[in-house]
Amino acid sequence: MRQKILIANRGEIAVRIIRAARELGLESIAVFSEADRDALFVRYADQSVCIGPAPLAESYLFYQNILAAAKSTGANAIHPGYGFLSENALFAEACRALNITFLGPHPLAIRKMGDKATAKKLMREAGVPTVPGSEGILAAFTDARSVAEEIGYPVIIKASAGGGGRGMRIVQEKKELENAFNAAVNEAQKAFGDPSVYLEKFIEDPKHIEIQVLGDKAGHIVHLYERDCSVQRRHQKLLEEAPSAVLDDETRATMGEIAVKAAKSVRYDSVGTIEFIYDLKSKQYYFIEMNTRIQVEHPVTEMITQIDLIKHQIEVGFGATLSLKQRDISRNGCSIECRINAEDPMTDFLPQAGTLKQYIVPGGPGVRIDSGVYPGYAIPPYYDSMIAKLIVWGETRKDAITRMKRALREFVIEGVKTTIPFHMDILQHKDFLSGQYTTNFIKKMGDTKGNY
Amino acid sequence: MFSRLFIKCTQCNTTHFYSFFKHAHFVCSRCGQHFRIDAVTWMKKLCDRNSFQSINDELCSLDPLQFPKYLRKIEESMKATNMNEAILTGTGTIEGIPIALGVMEPGFIMASMGSVVGEKITRLLELAAAEKLPVVMVISSGGARMQEGILSLMQMAKTSAAVRRLHQKRMPMFTVLCDPTTGGVTASFAMLGDIIIAETGALIGFAGPRVIQQTIGQKLPDGFQRAEFLLEHGMVDIVVPRKHLRELLVKLLKIHNKRPFPNRSRGEFR
Repeated sequence: MRQKILIANRGEIAVRIIRAARELGLESIAVFSEADRDALFVRYADQSVCIGPAPLAESYLFYQNILAAAKSTGANAIHPGYGFLSENALFAEACRALNITFLGPHPLAIRKMGDKATAKKLMREAGVPTVPGSEGILAAFTDARSVAEEIGYPVIIKASAGGGGRGMRIVQEKKELENAFNAAVNEAQKAFGDPSVYLEKFIEDPKHIEIQVLGDKAGHIVHLYERDCSVQRRHQKLLEEAPSAVLDDETRATMGEIAVKAAKSVRYDSVGTIEFIYDLKSKQYYFIEMNTRIQVEHPVTEMITQIDLIKHQIEVGFGATLSLKQRDISRNGCSIECRINAEDPMTDFLPQAGTLKQYIVPGGPGVRIDSGVYPGYAIPPYYDSMIAKLIVWGETRKDAITRMKRALREFVIEGVKTTIPFHMDILQHKDFLSGQYTTNFIKKMGDTKGNY
Repeated sequence: MFSRLFIKCTQCNTTHFYSFFKHAHFVCSRCGQHFRIDAVTWMKKLCDRNSFQSINDELCSLDPLQFPKYLRKIEESMKATNMNEAILTGTGTIEGIPIALGVMEPGFIMASMGSVVGEKITRLLELAAAEKLPVVMVISSGGARMQEGILSLMQMAKTSAAVRRLHQKRMPMFTVLCDPTTGGVTASFAMLGDIIIAETGALIGFAGPRVIQQTIGQKLPDGFQRAEFLLEHGMVDIVVPRKHLRELLVKLLKIHNKRPFPNRSRGEFR
């Protein structure tokens, strides 16, 4: 019997999964909300089921209807894509209870990695470097002093009940510590009614570097090198590249090994990403979290390794043994991805909804488009504003940048404002060209040039 | 096993996976309907792991009025709930703060208050007064237990007096009113909390809406006797969805813990 995969997602990732399924000879079933009736992924799928009205809570997050659609169409498996239900352990368990294969990691891995404190503890036990700091809450100033001495300045004091920057104090040197500690305790008490604080090493200007891993149910795990996702605006990634321009081969290899070790500690059995922050000055890196799903930026890894991650995810999800060995995985050249969003960079990235009057995609050697739109398509206002992912490959980083600029120039989108001009600015910026950019890059760029 | 896979909301008919439903604290994610939960689940939701120690578990109801079928009803309830009476009382901690906790069990003759329930509440309050523990009462009840007649009604006065003795020791009682809180329970200790918290949408009243409507011969306003209606009319202090309840209790207990009430006699307040 032909396997049927239901895709519990929408937009470009649904299209991407349908493509992989078709190439594997599997049938695909799309589920869509009333607002997505005309979407590309609905047209591409072999079969499609409407699962509810436009709001997310009533369609793409309404797991009941998704599971009912899976049962009524006879789907054997559900691919959750990214976002939505992809990192919901309960959903993965529900699929299992209904005898549907969840094409993602086992629920326990999702659960363990989903809780930041548990994940950090697990990683520390597995020997993965985490941001050094106090173990739990600081009882008194003397504890703060000894921890700070041990890990070195600068440090940051955070309220354990905190969030949103309140109750946080950055301490550059020893003599400021006592005042900062007392201030943080007071502020925490005032703001949250709880004076407990903890202390961590403060990494001023980090890079966001993540390692792609892939595992199977038999316990084989490989890594597929890193992606540099430091171009972020308010924690939203905008542009990603692989490999990172700042890692040397030795660091790259150790980070890969560590990522595999991290994944092994939860018996990871799907595609996933281990995220690190990387301190440019000390060249140290620390685990921050693991994403237990396929990621938006997976194509840059596919471009440099020539490995189809979604196909492998589907295969291992069905229980196949991983056909790849670590030594088979090599990388070649450089790849960059730009997320083309329907947002106006000039007005604080205000999301745009509207009809695409013109939509001409770039082409030529080394250019790939992952998108869920077509000319004349009306972008619904209910969901994220991504129109397309433009991915290029070049032999060197310089080639990739030149090619990306060329492709961006060819890309014609009329009807809505997009982030294309903004990407052009990034690609010309000297910090980006040098590769020495950090997660503060967009903020700094905004200070010198308009307001991003 | 299979019957526990799904559950259907009685209000909006949405089918939920039991695991999701449990994760959402037994609240319908679609319409917000709060379902009744048993005493042990409540206790586990509120108390720190393994911190709860129950007291007076052995107390069992007699049948002083030889009320028809009463003993059989008690036996059935005992079997169904695995409890000896309609309330679980004891001591435990919430985020490390020691408390005295009482949770009523709606599965036991609708958590009606007979002699044993009244006695267990009274003993809990006396223990709290003696050991200086703040009290948290999670209440849902059909009222006084009619099978014990006047002996049930007496529990109203008895528990109310126990609350006063607790207050004299300057210890607070936080009452959490769940759906439904009615009759003699509303008319006694439930409404004597220092801070009265009600769960979203809970029915809280003395006589039920049907009885009132028939008695006064008028149509009742929308949302009559619901938690939000009572908040608007000053009968309860806070209405909170179940998922935020623990957080709220922790906050209240912390406020109480940090600033002990000055031990003044009542006269000084006047």
